[in-house]
Amino acid sequence: MRFSVYRFDPDRDDKPRMQDFDLELQSTDHMVLDALLRLKQIDESLSFCRSCREGVCGSDGMNINGRNRLACITELRTLREPVVIRPLPGQPVIRDLIVDLTQFFAHYTSIRPWVIDDRPMPERERLQSPAEREELEGLYECILCACCSTTCPSYWWNPEQFIGPAGLLQAYRFIADSRDQARDERLAFLEGPFRLYRCRTIMNCTEVCPKGLAPSHAIEQIRSLQFGRSF
Amino acid sequence: MANGDRLLGGLRAWTWQRASALYLLGFGLVLAIRLATTPLHDYAHWRAFWSAPLLTAGTLLAVVSLGIHAWVGGRDVILDYVRPRSARPIALALLALLIGLAVTRILLALLGAAQA
Repeated sequence: MRFSVYRFDPDRDDKPRMQDFDLELQSTDHMVLDALLRLKQIDESLSFCRSCREGVCGSDGMNINGRNRLACITELRTLREPVVIRPLPGQPVIRDLIVDLTQFFAHYTSIRPWVIDDRPMPERERLQSPAEREELEGLYECILCACCSTTCPSYWWNPEQFIGPAGLLQAYRFIADSRDQARDERLAFLEGPFRLYRCRTIMNCTEVCPKGLAPSHAIEQIRSLQFGRSF
Repeated sequence: MANGDRLLGGLRAWTWQRASALYLLGFGLVLAIRLATTPLHDYAHWRAFWSAPLLTAGTLLAVVSLGIHAWVGGRDVILDYVRPRSARPIALALLALLIGLAVTRILLALLGAAQA
């Protein structure tokens, strides 16, 4: 199988280049990550992130044949050759397929991704009804792989100010949490022209999410809550 | 939120953009139906059609809605594409001036025609 892989080492290279590989696949090679690990045996300088290798840790997000995906759950047999592998778009490249996601995680931190409840601690845990728990479905599953935010043109245009779909999905995850007592402050934080309202409903985020989540729906829910709160 | 951001608004601009779009859609449909069902054989009919008070008021509101819609849309284009942040206030001021002048000019022309 033929691969074309983005290579860039800022310490040695002036500019990035694409390196072609021809790889004889073995019967155990099912996913792109299997192929990348094999390519690394051919050229050990090839760099990429990976950890759980089963779509849970979110560390091997990359652009495969023009679409952001997780290498560990992208089946090789579904891909057209040559398989073009690039780093997640719009982010500073540290080396080869490894990008610097500092800004992405700074946006994530800005939405205060924890339950805020200053009431006295109960004797036992804070309970939720099954219906309240149901509200978190499709939100808590986000693994922060950055596939959605880095495929969002609004995030490319205003990366410093627009929180991006992943951060906004997480913001809604806590807004929707019945145990959280800071809903108003969270909604007020997302007001203004940049943090949420740079979203132009392009919906690339929902299209590419490897976990099948819908950040665009979460953004719509936040808008609707803000709208209701404004009266 | 910075003062400039507060002035530009997030939800407020988003709501105005949608409200103005809905009005323009509704007005466009009503106008199309009225045009299709009203006999307009000559200039006198045409003048009488446009000088109906409800249609005049609706048209004035449509021009204002178009101005609001153009402002939010143009503002979004500037915030997305004008990269140097220092240039954004200038571009926004120019856009506001352009839309303000255009809307005023059209409103004055419509009011003048309605009074003639």
